[in-house]
Amino acid sequence: MNSTKFTPRTKEEIDRKWWEIGDYFRRNSLWMLMYCTGCCAIELPPAMTSVYDMERLGMGPMATPRQADVLLVTGYLSLKTLRRLIYTYEQMSEPKYVVGFGSCTINGGIYHDSHAVINRLDQYIPVDTYVAGCMPNTESVMNGFVDLMELMKTKKADGWKRYHEHYDWYKENQKAALGEVEVHDEFHE
Amino acid sequence: MTNSMNNVHEINNLMGQNFSLVDARILDAYQVSYELEKEDIHRALTVLKNAGFRQLSYLSCVDWPEEDVIEMVYIVMNWEKALHVQLHAKIDRNNPVMDSVLPIFPGAKYYEREAHEFFGVSFPGNKDHEKQLILENWDDMPPMRKDFDPRAYSDRKFTKRPMKRDYEIQDASSNKEREIKREARANALRTGGKE
Amino acid sequence: MRELKLFLGPQHPGMHGNAAVHMYVEGDIIKRSYLLPGMLHRGFEKGMERHSWVNNISLIPRVCVVEPDINEMAFAQGVEMLAGIEVPERAHYIRMIILELARISIHMMAYGGLGSPTGNYTLMYHAHADRNSILNIFEKITGHRVYHQYIVPGGVRKDLPKGIEEDIHAFLDSLESRYEEYRDLGIENPTLLKRIKDTIMLPEEVVWELGVTGVGMRSAVNKPYDLRKVKPYARYDQVDFEVPVSDYSDARARVDIKLKEVVQSISIIRQALKKMPKGPVRVPLGPGQSMRWTVPKGSVYSTVESSRGEFGYFIVSDGKTHPYRVGVRGASYPQGLLGIEKYLPGTRIDDAALWVDTMGVCSPEIDR
Repeated sequence: MNSTKFTPRTKEEIDRKWWEIGDYFRRNSLWMLMYCTGCCAIELPPAMTSVYDMERLGMGPMATPRQADVLLVTGYLSLKTLRRLIYTYEQMSEPKYVVGFGSCTINGGIYHDSHAVINRLDQYIPVDTYVAGCMPNTESVMNGFVDLMELMKTKKADGWKRYHEHYDWYKENQKAALGEVEVHDEFHE
Repeated sequence: MTNSMNNVHEINNLMGQNFSLVDARILDAYQVSYELEKEDIHRALTVLKNAGFRQLSYLSCVDWPEEDVIEMVYIVMNWEKALHVQLHAKIDRNNPVMDSVLPIFPGAKYYEREAHEFFGVSFPGNKDHEKQLILENWDDMPPMRKDFDPRAYSDRKFTKRPMKRDYEIQDASSNKEREIKREARANALRTGGKE
Repeated sequence: MRELKLFLGPQHPGMHGNAAVHMYVEGDIIKRSYLLPGMLHRGFEKGMERHSWVNNISLIPRVCVVEPDINEMAFAQGVEMLAGIEVPERAHYIRMIILELARISIHMMAYGGLGSPTGNYTLMYHAHADRNSILNIFEKITGHRVYHQYIVPGGVRKDLPKGIEEDIHAFLDSLESRYEEYRDLGIENPTLLKRIKDTIMLPEEVVWELGVTGVGMRSAVNKPYDLRKVKPYARYDQVDFEVPVSDYSDARARVDIKLKEVVQSISIIRQALKKMPKGPVRVPLGPGQSMRWTVPKGSVYSTVESSRGEFGYFIVSDGKTHPYRVGVRGASYPQGLLGIEKYLPGTRIDDAALWVDTMGVCSPEIDR
């Protein structure tokens, strides 16, 4: 007996439908990695605690990168931090998103002529959305999170796919700025 | 603190009797500054430490490329008498070597390591002061010297975001007279029209 | 047992700020440890030489992120000492109010920071809610929540807005009424007491050997060595306050001193609001434009008592429009670098994060 409601579809269409259902759950329970890399991280505790409560958006803190979804790059990145940040970004499992806070990730900010601060974050790591300000208000931070969820809904938050496609270009930029991406800690002692 | 000027005079007498000072200056009731020869620094620090200046507050360098010297600065503090004493000493800029003050103030270990990294001064007597503390894989000259240009380093290594240029300069030469007039007006403003 | 190398790395939920501690552990006890600074290095001292004296005001507060007003105060004081400017009376009292509000906010943040490594999250939530009220008051006075750029050489930028005194009094009343609850939650909580009582001791000879100042010094040496009493600046000699000390120097005593300092700060703010005279708040710096203003030659070291100790700026000027050299003495430099190398071994791994919090190690001012 032929049913009129079920028509056979291809494997790609079924996968896409499952991915959309997964996106719905993903954007309503994002877990952010606890890593405060720069000055804008001072505006995160009022967002995490009960003042501006980001848990009502579904977001919560997570300790390890292997189980986190969002990497918040809060503020400027010095060269030492960039090496460790690349390790952290590559350890996160996919799909993963990156939000850049402050004007230092956009164009270097007030430290644009410093010998130790990088100027554009999206040359080294794919960035999905930015939050402007120096430093952004906590309400702007919450607005940034809602923007990220909108981007996930309209399927534009695909930074992690870009990292796979243009892997060589990102690696070349990282080597040009850092010299060497591997972290050698032995010499410090 | 009615007896703070007495403290200042006491220290002045102590330093004047024991050392040949190149320069002595009283900055206010709580601060004095002396300039000594390089060889007298260790003896001066020991004398001051026995007189109650037990805390080393700051140790650093100032770079004077025109005079071809690097000036070392040591600042010590006495909590009982509320006095900061600055000691300055000039060393040669092309081969800067200064004996370490670790035996007197053990807290100077990381200050000297940082002075080596940023100015290139070596401190024999402080083992492993040549390891990098704040910079990592640094490949250029010591960054706090006056001939290092951080803007050129940043332009060379980090790519910038291109900004839109939506104006154009019409005639570069006609700006020269306006610039000269503007500079003269600015000079007059700076001195209040007195010169 | 074998020695194992661990990183209490930059990415860690218990770490305050972006610094790593490398340690060699055997079982649970730390054998050797080093701090890895430099992840927040921005090249401040070089950047300050490239901005003029007045332009530096925008760069200065960013040196220490959690308490930016001490930077502005130390710089403004140093420049005024070099140039011989006298600041009006009302500006002194306003500066005192801003500095004490900043001290309350960072003591609250440090007290709440006890909660995160020990699992007492309620304490962290309450403390950050109170700190947020202070940041809202700062927004009304200065225009920005965190980086105020308000204390400038020559006074303060603008007068206090109308109606701010009622807001400050309302906030101070609410904080005082919850003081007992804060003590119950944190320092008299038996679960937390087991972690901080009789641990992380700081003997007196260590203080003199490393050069530790601030709360650590006052708890170990048992004398009121506070820069506000010993060399008073900004009219601290006209208000009545005490400096709490303690004779037994463990982690609990230091947290206790911080809470008592919050009470003293509340009383200082109330007295200053009452005694403030009316008048101008800013003095022009010199003839002509302030962007081209020059400062006479000299070198000065100006100090301010921050919540972590003696915070100093060493300013050298050679008579031009830009400073020649500015050196920053971070208040937590001794206990951060030397203290972790010499006195952290012997404690357990879980106490390392508590050590960093109760000793008051703030990483941006170590690496500037």
